[in-house]
Amino acid sequence: MTALMQPGFWVFILTMSGIYGIFSLGLQIQYGVGGILNFGHVGMMALSSYTMAILIISHGINFWIAAAAGVAVAALGGAFLGLTTLRLRGDYFAIVSIAFSEIVRYVIYNSDGLTGGVQGSLAIPVIGENYPSYTDTWDSIMNRARDILTPIFGEIADREFVMAIVVWITLGILLLIVSRIERTSWARVLRATREDDEVPAALGKNVFRFRLQAVIIGSVIGGIAGIYWGLESSLLSPDDFLTLVTFYGWMILILGGATKVKGLPIAAIFFGFLYGGSRFFTFWPFSHLDASQRAYVRIMIIGIVLIILMMRRPQGIFGKRQEMVLE
Amino acid sequence: MNNLILEVNDVAVSFGGVRAVNGATLDVEVGSVTSVIGPNGAGKTTLFNLISGATKPDSGTILFEGLEIHNLLPHKIADRGIIRTFQGAKVIKRLSVLDNLMLGGQDNPGDSLVNFLNPKARKAYEVQCRERAMELLKQIGIERFADEYAGILSGGQRKLLDLARALMANPTLLLLDEPFAGVNPTLVEKLLEVLHALRSKHNLTFLLIEHDLETVMNISDRVIVMAEGRVIADGKPNSIYENQAVIDAYLGTRKASK
Repeated sequence: MTALMQPGFWVFILTMSGIYGIFSLGLQIQYGVGGILNFGHVGMMALSSYTMAILIISHGINFWIAAAAGVAVAALGGAFLGLTTLRLRGDYFAIVSIAFSEIVRYVIYNSDGLTGGVQGSLAIPVIGENYPSYTDTWDSIMNRARDILTPIFGEIADREFVMAIVVWITLGILLLIVSRIERTSWARVLRATREDDEVPAALGKNVFRFRLQAVIIGSVIGGIAGIYWGLESSLLSPDDFLTLVTFYGWMILILGGATKVKGLPIAAIFFGFLYGGSRFFTFWPFSHLDASQRAYVRIMIIGIVLIILMMRRPQGIFGKRQEMVLE
Repeated sequence: MNNLILEVNDVAVSFGGVRAVNGATLDVEVGSVTSVIGPNGAGKTTLFNLISGATKPDSGTILFEGLEIHNLLPHKIADRGIIRTFQGAKVIKRLSVLDNLMLGGQDNPGDSLVNFLNPKARKAYEVQCRERAMELLKQIGIERFADEYAGILSGGQRKLLDLARALMANPTLLLLDEPFAGVNPTLVEKLLEVLHALRSKHNLTFLLIEHDLETVMNISDRVIVMAEGRVIADGKPNSIYENQAVIDAYLGTRKASK
């Protein structure tokens, strides 16, 4: 119960919420606007974070270049996924996209010489003698920022505190950019393709191009989430990137209202607190469960919340009901 | 021969074992109103799908303004200036009525993501496009629904919207699939007025599928009759009335003609 009282724990939850929020924003532009059912989104996060870690550890490349390269590889992953499978109809694309992220994960799992395989980023081959953590540069930046902020905010302003601020500023900027994009005529065409291919095509719109662009933009955003994920955990493992993570992103999206971005940060915080806070469900009736069983309670609760939402409020907290259900 | 805007030569396509269009040949003159009639299953809508690129022909050629188009993707054909409406009208239900119309705008700089960084060009176009759309909405009498989702419109209103959206795209050849079916007579009159005005002003060419023979005879310069995937008659409206093959096709009798 003591962890519950520590502000640091809640700051950590806030950071994770922000990272999941960024992750989910990538799905928002794909599904909320484009109607594209991407269940392989976690693959982009895996690509970006592993690319960054490998470039830094094995090749000694500058952190900023490595992070940018990570996002670029996620974008390429999105382009590859889109070019190969986006011509499939919605539900088929969804299935293939799961396969995509699982392939990424298994490749990471089995490429010991490149990714460290099952042992994770700790086993990524090193050049030279010292083991560099891929977070070294980032950590020193965080520490410097902390030293500046501590006099202002006091004890609470630790590294995690700075991280939470950086993540949420990033999310804020991305929300702003995405909501701007979603007001362009580009998004209007994409929204049309969500319902129908023939009409936009008959009006001279290359439907495939719009969908592909949406997938790539979403993948870039997912890639940015991956960079923060890697920096936050400072250790990567292939099992960080299970399909379940994609569905966490989906839960935030549905909860916030898929067609609008404004509900997303609130949904992300709700998710974060449910996800991180459920370990404190030691009261009745959860008191009958042991700690490992309790870990599954949150997944059950998330499932129940999703079912109730779908039944009672398919538009999420802020979405427009008509835009979800109009036939 | 230069006044032919569309030439369909011996085009055929099968779906499974069915020859939906079976060697159809026809042409359309610039600035004309040409109607395609025929019993259900004659291949009229499939012909439209072939011209608009939604379906690829198994054989034959389609020329628009003298250039082959039958291998092009639908959006490329639309770019050339052939715009179609859909049987039963297709609207994007979860877009506003106004957005449905603005979707028809051509060469919109905002459609390109690169121009995200060029808000001036985007906005200038949007303002112009919106004005044009509102004007059209007024013409078809549904401007009060501009900001509503198109999904709330009635069947007839959806037809009007589908037509107006096609006009937004500034077509040179407009393919209308049963534009008047299910629209009330006074509105049909109004639509015809709008279409006539467009025709004289922009030298627009119409190719339409219609079942109501009276309307067809009144508005068409030329009528093409299809049956079982072929063109069985082609000529001025008057001559069609007297054509034995047409009477047979519509009455369903099967004389061994030809």
